[in-house]
Amino acid sequence: MARKMIRVLLVEDEEINRVVARAALKAAGGGDVVDEAENGEVAVQRVRDAAAPYDLVLMDKQMPVMDGHEATRRIRGMGVTTPIVAVSSDGLPADVDAFITAGADDFTSKPLSKEKLGVILAKFRLA
Amino acid sequence: MAAAALTSQLNALVNNMFAMGLLDDQFQQLQMLQDSTAPDFVSEVVTLFCDDGERIICELARQLEKPNVDFDRVDSYVHQLKGSSASVGAQKVKNTCIQFREFCQQRSRDGCLKTLDLVRTEFYDLRNKFQAMLQLEQQIQACYPKH
Repeated sequence: MARKMIRVLLVEDEEINRVVARAALKAAGGGDVVDEAENGEVAVQRVRDAAAPYDLVLMDKQMPVMDGHEATRRIRGMGVTTPIVAVSSDGLPADVDAFITAGADDFTSKPLSKEKLGVILAKFRLA
Repeated sequence: MAAAALTSQLNALVNNMFAMGLLDDQFQQLQMLQDSTAPDFVSEVVTLFCDDGERIICELARQLEKPNVDFDRVDSYVHQLKGSSASVGAQKVKNTCIQFREFCQQRSRDGCLKTLDLVRTEFYDLRNKFQAMLQLEQQIQACYPKH
């Protein structure tokens, strides 16, 4: 039976972080389709306009235009249940709590690695 | 063989960068992500870091010259530099950025200026070593002509 294609939305404003995340996702086996959004507002548009639902959203915290907390709230407000994993270098409990309150399912720290993404993909049965 | 000597130089340079605390495990993670489908991955990430770092440091200097410093804006730029440092494994620069952010929180122009000097020195030292590393890699690749 063919494995289902995994569609990921990577929400991150810094190009270097997107390049590393994309490579780590591919190495972890989750990089079939990776769309990118450079801020929360674009992320909300991508989710709303997607031809097929994403299997996973990786959401940065600090971004221009719209941050990760607000983008997460808006995506949940649309009734979207796709797993959202917050990604931030500031792993303070308050940050994690704020993301979970906004509707994120999990939190992981930057920089992303094959190992961290492997754990995430397994947790959400995407591996 | 030229390739062997160059490879030895390259290994010594990178090992020294780890030994001096300039690089951390994240750089090894990047090396492991490089493969035949992404043969220039490390070079791409290093180049992005060097370009980002140069731009951000210039902007930080400009922001800190203003009579009324917007410390939140300065903090935002330092956060960016910290993020790209972490992504490439630039341990020393990343740690200095952490100190820098503390001075931003304290609204200390003097603290920020001193830390900017330090981060600038560390960044350019690392950039020079990264450039040497990329040159050695190109020279090594040139020893193996493509068919």
